[in-house]
Amino acid sequence: MMSARPGARMKWRHRRSRIKHAPDDIIRIAIAGNPNAGKTSIFNALTGQSQHVGNYPGVTVEQKIGRIDYDGYTLEFVDLPGTYSLSAFSIEEMVARDFVLREKPDVIIDVLDSTNLERNLYLCLQFQELGMPIVGVLNMSDEARRNGISIDEKQLGIILGIPFVKTIGSRGIGMQELLGKTLAVAQGRIPSNVRHLNYGVELETQHNRIIQSLQSDPTFVDNFPPHWIAIKLLENDSDAVTKIQKQHVSSESVLATAHDSREWIRKHFGEDSEIVVGEQRYAYIHGACREVVQTEESPNRSDYTEMIDRIVLNKYCGLGIFVGIMFMIYQLTFKLGRPLSDYIDHLFGWIQTVVQSILPNGIIKDLIVEGIIGGVGGVLVFFPIVVLLFLGLSFLEDTGYLARAAFVMDKFMHLFGLHGRSFIPMMVSTGCAVPGVMSARTLVNPKDRVLTIMIAPLMMCSAKTPVIAMLTAAFFPKYAGTVFWSIWIIGWLVSLLIAKLFRNTIYKGEASPFVMELPPYRMPTLRGIFTHMWEKSWSYVKKAGTFILAASIIIWFILYFPRSQETVQSYQNKMGVLTTAYTEHLATLTSENERQLVTEQYLQQVSIIQNQLARDELEHSVGGRLGRFIEPMFKPCGFDWRLDIALMAGFAAKEVIISTMGIVYGIGESDLEADIAGEHIASPLKQKLSNDPHYHPGNMLALMIFVLIYVPCLATLAVVKKELGKWRYPLFLAGYTLFFAWLLAVIVFQGTRLLGIGG
Amino acid sequence: MTLSDVKDGGQFVIKSVLATGEIRRRLIDMGFIRGAQGKVLREALLRDPIELQLKGYKVSVRRAEAKQIVIEDQAL
Repeated sequence: MMSARPGARMKWRHRRSRIKHAPDDIIRIAIAGNPNAGKTSIFNALTGQSQHVGNYPGVTVEQKIGRIDYDGYTLEFVDLPGTYSLSAFSIEEMVARDFVLREKPDVIIDVLDSTNLERNLYLCLQFQELGMPIVGVLNMSDEARRNGISIDEKQLGIILGIPFVKTIGSRGIGMQELLGKTLAVAQGRIPSNVRHLNYGVELETQHNRIIQSLQSDPTFVDNFPPHWIAIKLLENDSDAVTKIQKQHVSSESVLATAHDSREWIRKHFGEDSEIVVGEQRYAYIHGACREVVQTEESPNRSDYTEMIDRIVLNKYCGLGIFVGIMFMIYQLTFKLGRPLSDYIDHLFGWIQTVVQSILPNGIIKDLIVEGIIGGVGGVLVFFPIVVLLFLGLSFLEDTGYLARAAFVMDKFMHLFGLHGRSFIPMMVSTGCAVPGVMSARTLVNPKDRVLTIMIAPLMMCSAKTPVIAMLTAAFFPKYAGTVFWSIWIIGWLVSLLIAKLFRNTIYKGEASPFVMELPPYRMPTLRGIFTHMWEKSWSYVKKAGTFILAASIIIWFILYFPRSQETVQSYQNKMGVLTTAYTEHLATLTSENERQLVTEQYLQQVSIIQNQLARDELEHSVGGRLGRFIEPMFKPCGFDWRLDIALMAGFAAKEVIISTMGIVYGIGESDLEADIAGEHIASPLKQKLSNDPHYHPGNMLALMIFVLIYVPCLATLAVVKKELGKWRYPLFLAGYTLFFAWLLAVIVFQGTRLLGIGG
Repeated sequence: MTLSDVKDGGQFVIKSVLATGEIRRRLIDMGFIRGAQGKVLREALLRDPIELQLKGYKVSVRRAEAKQIVIEDQAL
């Protein structure tokens, strides 16, 4: 069956199809396919190590490109996002079709899962309808054979007008044949861009009507394949309608014709044309498959996937297995990752000490040591955790379990307007929100993903833990454990309730479909897992890293400048007096014991002066003045300006709150170690705080709630920007969390006052 | 009768899809079309979502979605 009007399409093809004869030409190939069809393994097998990662224009969907030389030609492969169709609903589908329409690659390699050919061909034929030359890849042909499925690829090629190649992507089998066919298609030696699919007389007549109406604008027809646009109009595709409205000269008459045609089909078939088109497409595929696919029911063949699912998705065991698996991933990530993070932290601390001793005193030295080296360390400290987390998640994804996890958790999460897959980012965020936000990538629907990212950072993370632990130990010594875990649970409750609130207000609208494939369990390849892991981890360092670094330097500036020469001078004078007195005193002493005693006293006084200097400079800095300036705003929460400064410094990283409070109270850094470790009841900061009449259980409870909820750390905000692409997301996240934190802190503080707790 | 009424292990033939908008589009694209045969494999803990075998693959849908998929009265 040839298409009814080759003329129209040929015109479109004519403009762009440069037949590749000259060996220096670059042949551009897009690799497409359903999710789980083994697209990545084919891409890796074809391109080897020559890959680089970028973004598709305007969206945060990642684009992988690889180049190789083959037979004197340069082949450039672009990995399209995995999709089931080319409708206008999901970002991935829009990216795939816009890429094909705009970039007009020379060939599309469509990767198909041989064990599930019918549904996979649905996408393949849509690319053909776009007028694209296609090579079909019957991947996982070994698995199909094991399942008793045999496909006559030559016959299938003749029926559909597309050359097919059998491959086993994970083992690189069939790549030479695939490259040969691809080149042949690019050179026009094998025609494969002509639609063989026939929608039946009634639909074809309506389809022709729309095409004729489209022809009234030759430029439009030149830019978009009219056949494809006509089909999309029959399907009432919102993006096709927009394209007509914006770019077709007689858009009204085209849309009127399309509307007429749809109405006619609805009357004739008793169904919406959207459904009829889909049905015809599947009917055609079904017919083709009946001729070329033979399925043998062998009695001794066992369905492993079903056997595993019977246990893993069992109504009652399923949840326990899921919790167990998540616990293991969590342990792997944080138990193994934290020592590595600490190691990196110490390494950077050591570098700081070394550089400190090399450079001359001054602003440049402080900038390099505290701003830059500290900032780079702040980025890399997360790296081991990110790598390990993605190692675990890539394994779950590649085996096929991740979809099962969503199945198990969906009902519970859906109660709060979230998706089954939202659980993983939330769970990971209880360790660290940076990998937590990144793990939200498994959410396909953009709305679900944004919502999940907005609430996951409210969890108690490992940086908030020491702050809360120190405060509970200082102010609730008897009930420290209970109070700490209550705060932990409040983190979950608040984020789930805020999710529900947002779903009913700003992220309202039509429910998104859950319809989700549960792919067959497969043994992942090491290479596949490590590629996934590495790509995700590296993109963290590259994109989020630069921003985190820049922001840490800015925070450093705010807390460092302006310097007051007078303050420094007066402390230097003090120091001078002290030193002179000490030297003179020392000279009069003869006993070794006395000398030692005096030296110790001297050093103690020096450190007190240094701490006072640090405190004065912090108070004098922009940040310090801001702390005093905003004090009235946080009075209702029971915070004074010293807490405000510490909370502001906490933007950089939550654990910084403790060290900043230390500076504000003039406590040296070495003494703070005890506070951060949280083990010594009598640590200096804890004592200072609990002895301070301004602080009592009432406002400290408010402070804990505030620290739990308020603005996520810079690293998290940077990752949110990176993951969602637009500034408004991290800004909104920062804004709303600040508001809710303030509100809850006020409620807690005023509530405790009414109840008569504390001052 | 809708897909939601089929018991675990029960087979079905799809008659029509009532859903609208994105859910309908997704269902059609995934092969939920008139005449498609399948089997309900199991349901999750709180009876939702449900797992189906449809054509050559496994797919899960929420109960709310299953209620919008009408099936033939005569089971296979």
